Amino acid sequence: MVLILGGAGSGKRAFAQSLGYKEEEMSPDVFSDAPVMTDLEETVRNDPAGAAALLGPLCQKELVLCREVGSGVIPLAAEDRRFREETGRLCVQLARRADAVVRMTAGIPMILKGEMPCARS
Amino acid sequence: MMILITGGSACGKSSHAEEICLQGPAPRFYLAAMQPYGEEGLRKVVRHRLLRKDKGFETIERYTDYASLELPSGCTALLECIANLTANEMFDENGNRSDPVDLVLAGVEHLASRCGLLVAVTNDVGSDGIRYEEGTEAYIKALGTINAALAARADTVIEMAAGIPILWKGEMP
Repeated sequence: MVLILGGAGSGKRAFAQSLGYKEEEMSPDVFSDAPVMTDLEETVRNDPAGAAALLGPLCQKELVLCREVGSGVIPLAAEDRRFREETGRLCVQLARRADAVVRMTAGIPMILKGEMPCARS
Repeated sequence: MMILITGGSACGKSSHAEEICLQGPAPRFYLAAMQPYGEEGLRKVVRHRLLRKDKGFETIERYTDYASLELPSGCTALLECIANLTANEMFDENGNRSDPVDLVLAGVEHLASRCGLLVAVTNDVGSDGIRYEEGTEAYIKALGTINAALAARADTVIEMAAGIPILWKGEMP
């Protein structure tokens, strides 16, 4: 499993495509058969209490795309704070288990762990 | 030796900072700048205390004025966190505002002069693109200024992302 992080619009999906994954192989539903999980932060937003239980199924994916959401002013609403914390902690757990971790900045991938994933043949 | 650790919420800053401090000279102090508001704040304090358990830190809760904190020369200190300290120096309980930049920098400079190893944890709060009311905007700007000055002063600067350290300056401890 390769974890792909980055802020909104940083190029996570385009990077997944550059590795040879088609749009129809990507899904925001963790329980779909798609090899690529997108928008992980939205799943956490909808059910922050269920974040830890996602770890197992996510490790079965080939790619997991998650927006980094922790780099702003601490939100006033408790549920927004909870969402940010749970997303961050889940990413720490995913990164620990991932074969590679890539962080996108302005469309440029930075390898944080492992090796640059090869494009599928 | 001064190390600055930055990153967003819940990216593993605290546990990495603690690991680094374990390599520093004893005694080790944990300087807690966060004022625990309400149940959520207390939960956070308890969580951090559990993380630090058995790591041999003496906790000092202090919300402002680190410039006059007495510490033994050559000790290790973990200051957490600059974002809280900045808010505490900036806003008093009556909502009055002061410029926190010099106060925070003087406090950290004093700690750095006393400590054999100072690890300061800060936060990145300026990357959500939202326009806030004037007081919050001033806070974001002040914290950015403080972070830049601390990074210039620090021997090593590390950003955490998903628990992984990224080296921005100096050498990995």
